[in-house]
Amino acid sequence: MNEPGGGGSAIKLIGIGQSLRGDDGAGSAAIRLWQERYGKASDRPGLEVALAEAPGIGLLDMLEGARFAILVDAVRSDARPGTIHLLSADQLAAFTSGSGSAHGWGVAETLALGKQLMPGEMPGKLYLIGIEAGDVSLGESLSPEVELALAEAACLIEQLISKD
Amino acid sequence: MNQDIHIPALARVEGEGALTIRLKDGAVDEILLNIYEPPRFFEGFLHGRYFQDVPDFTARICGICPVAYQMSSVQALEAAMQVTITPEIRLLRRLFYCAEYIESHALHVYLLQAPDLVGHESAITLAADAPDLVKRGLRLKKIGNELLRTIGGRSIHPVNTCVGGFYHWPDAGAIHDLVPELEWARQASIETVRWAAGLNYPDFEQDYEFVSLNRIEEYAIYDGDILSSSGKRITPAEFEKHYLETQVERSNALHSHTLGNGTYFVGPLARFNLNYKKLRTMARESAREIGFKPPVHNPYKGLLARAIELVHTTDLAIELAGSYQPQGASHVEFDVIPGEGCGVSEAPRGVLYHRYIVDEQGLIRFARITPPTAQNFAQMEADLWAIAPTAIKLPQEEASLAFEHLLRSYDPCISCSVHFLELRIEKR
Repeated sequence: MNEPGGGGSAIKLIGIGQSLRGDDGAGSAAIRLWQERYGKASDRPGLEVALAEAPGIGLLDMLEGARFAILVDAVRSDARPGTIHLLSADQLAAFTSGSGSAHGWGVAETLALGKQLMPGEMPGKLYLIGIEAGDVSLGESLSPEVELALAEAACLIEQLISKD
Repeated sequence: MNQDIHIPALARVEGEGALTIRLKDGAVDEILLNIYEPPRFFEGFLHGRYFQDVPDFTARICGICPVAYQMSSVQALEAAMQVTITPEIRLLRRLFYCAEYIESHALHVYLLQAPDLVGHESAITLAADAPDLVKRGLRLKKIGNELLRTIGGRSIHPVNTCVGGFYHWPDAGAIHDLVPELEWARQASIETVRWAAGLNYPDFEQDYEFVSLNRIEEYAIYDGDILSSSGKRITPAEFEKHYLETQVERSNALHSHTLGNGTYFVGPLARFNLNYKKLRTMARESAREIGFKPPVHNPYKGLLARAIELVHTTDLAIELAGSYQPQGASHVEFDVIPGEGCGVSEAPRGVLYHRYIVDEQGLIRFARITPPTAQNFAQMEADLWAIAPTAIKLPQEEASLAFEHLLRSYDPCISCSVHFLELRIEKR
């Protein structure tokens, strides 16, 4: 069942971030915890799970065929590390900051480009679960505050999927 | 959450760069290009690791050019342990590299540099104006990523490369199925060249020393000797004797110079200038059609060289993918022996040099990685000095854009070196 503007029938859960860059790997870590606690993705027909270290503009390809997408990513605002943010697609659109000079492609810029070019193929429903990052220097471990926040993020993932 | 939050930048933290231009009495006093550069840390990471981990580790240095890191590292380790790969493995590595050129060049040409040349703030605003153009760029990039995934197992940080070859041969049917889309990509690349020829490039030329790989029989991407426009030709093992890295206090990146303390320029323009005659016929014809011929000394026209290389690599990929048939073992067997070796390949952004020392257990005892962007830093700074006297006369915003545009024309690697760019012009 496609919602208006939906690109397909799947629910896609996508973790974004470099696991070698400390808390930048929080998105993937939250999805792994969700898988441990709430069962295998394969038990849920129509749900696809993907982890992407640094998808850049490739995120558009990953979203193809999704009716509903949940992105889980590390974010930086002025909040305390480990704070969980839930952003709708509309709220995300406000964060295309600095795209004039940004060389790389952040999630917000990529989604804005997708909406501009192929509005009909973008997911009809999209949320970003943002986990406030602390330390993003090189290394594989998460900081303690972010580690503690993973349970809340995993719970939020489960709520979004089960309420759908 | 019951109130708005402010996230100034989502955490894609693959590197940061800043540029400071200091003025004194109305003239440029100091130019500081400050770069945060992860490869230096990777050299430390690799110490004590098993050699076979290296291609997967170094692939993570960059989301855009992981194949380059894998290809330079396996060649260095194969040299260290005296491993000889089969011709079939070499052909597949060349095809793998084509995939990376297609996705990386499509990204830079259409999404990173084009907005500068057509006066748009970003690819997003350009997409509003010329959706079909940006869609063409995205489709080109996608076929590159698709080929990369089919060979490497993943489209961003591939995992199929090992010292000695590939863990598995990719499925021949899956590779052959990509040929029709590659044929579309070749036509799109030819159109890219025609479109790019009509863009308005700033009038700026410098007397550069260009450095790239070179091979007698092919346009060197996967391997070769190192050739300079000064006429000097050296082997990969001699690289560090001729191209020196020095620590610069203000930057985490090392800056490279030639033996005579000169700057040099690596990348598509260097390859085009030094290897023009080795381009595939179709790519050379494309260049001839728009009157683009070496030597080119305008860094902004690196975009045209990239577009020509898109024609070259799509055409080569069609041939290599079309004739691909797995034959023999996908990787050669060898004994782990201690040794030291160098590997050099042409990343989309230019010469990428690796050197490793391996001990008798196969553990890495020393690693050196010299990425192309680090080699271009000194040249980029020299170019900034050259445009600065004119640029600082412009209003602040236009001046910023002029400096950024120049730096972007070098296609500094997003992950390897730079996440652009906070500009400060200080007046005293």
